[in-house]
Amino acid sequence: MFLVNDLIALLAANLILTQALGTSTIFIAADSRKNLVGTAFVITVFTFFGSAAAYYSDKLLLEKYSDFKLLIYVISIGILYVILLSALYFISRKKFENSRKYIHLSVFNCAVMGTLLTVSERASSDPSFMGLKNYMMAGLEAGIGFITAALILTAAYRKLNSAKVPASFRGFPAMLVYLGIISMAVYSLI
Amino acid sequence: MNKQRTPIFKGLLGNNIVLSSLMVISPVIICGDTLRNAAALVYAFSAVTFLAVTISSFVPKKLPYTLKVIIYAMISSVVYIPVKWAAQEFFPGAVVRIGIYFPLLAVNSLIIFRSESELYKLPKAAMTVRLIFYIFGFDAVILITGFVRELFAYGTINEKIVDINTPISGLSKPFGGFIFLGLFCGLYRWIRLIVRNRKNEIRSDADVSGQ
Repeated sequence: MFLVNDLIALLAANLILTQALGTSTIFIAADSRKNLVGTAFVITVFTFFGSAAAYYSDKLLLEKYSDFKLLIYVISIGILYVILLSALYFISRKKFENSRKYIHLSVFNCAVMGTLLTVSERASSDPSFMGLKNYMMAGLEAGIGFITAALILTAAYRKLNSAKVPASFRGFPAMLVYLGIISMAVYSLI
Repeated sequence: MNKQRTPIFKGLLGNNIVLSSLMVISPVIICGDTLRNAAALVYAFSAVTFLAVTISSFVPKKLPYTLKVIIYAMISSVVYIPVKWAAQEFFPGAVVRIGIYFPLLAVNSLIIFRSESELYKLPKAAMTVRLIFYIFGFDAVILITGFVRELFAYGTINEKIVDINTPISGLSKPFGGFIFLGLFCGLYRWIRLIVRNRKNEIRSDADVSGQ
């Protein structure tokens, strides 16, 4: 029963199915398992550590300078972007060559930036949420939510791109309608 | 004549950033449920994108890609600040209604990635024209989406009640946005296919008559 509750909570908090954040990236990620794993992993890293940066930014930034929040988030993600690329470069050149496209694809993505902004908004409406652990957990949840939605899409990816689907609706349009139907199912759970 | 028209209208019709490349679709799906929201998104997207891409075009091209992307994102987040202040002045309530999608527009893929891969490779004048038509392309899609979804979801046009017998309230929800955009995208591709086939027919007729 706990597992069912957790699954429902995970789906209900899913940023793609409920807020359409990172939809275009998920279409690229669902193309192959390798892409899915790579993109999902990098997005989770960005949302997890980005949320920690967002926590400190929200904590330290004065209310009258709240308009600069986006700029600070962008700088934080930018620093994370450089660190991730540099770390990968020094660990293994081969891994760097193979994985950097996922990092380029995920940085400043709606799923990443949207997570930071959503978490921050949640904290401003509910002061009890304001804590490093809560921020990082929300970032992790967003990453897991991305993986869940990508897996759901991967299950139907080939069929939605097959020749049986009319040419005009093949690919992106069919995938959007499919995600809409899944989103409707999730909406009924909330 | 055709060769001159194609690049100008590319962003509006042939290569629409929303319907063809699926860029900036989150605000269309979530916020594009009324004309008022659509108008606010038109303003926010147009102002931020035009200013950010134009200013970013002066960033030296020799810099490493990673650094350039970060600088583009930083420029657009700085541009976002006065645009937000102006929105609070001219579109009261819009910033609250659009919520997190307002700042998200400032880090859209057109500013961060498409500009680097396509726009900055063009001469400044051609870049500006193409950028304007990309922006028009987004504006057209969001306005049509806002109009249709508001009409069928709420039975209103710009908050004025019209005679719709059976409103489809689901169209105002995120899932309604996904499904509507999917259908819109399919319709757009269908029209493009018809136009392309007709052009091919005309070309093959011309080849035959030329022989």
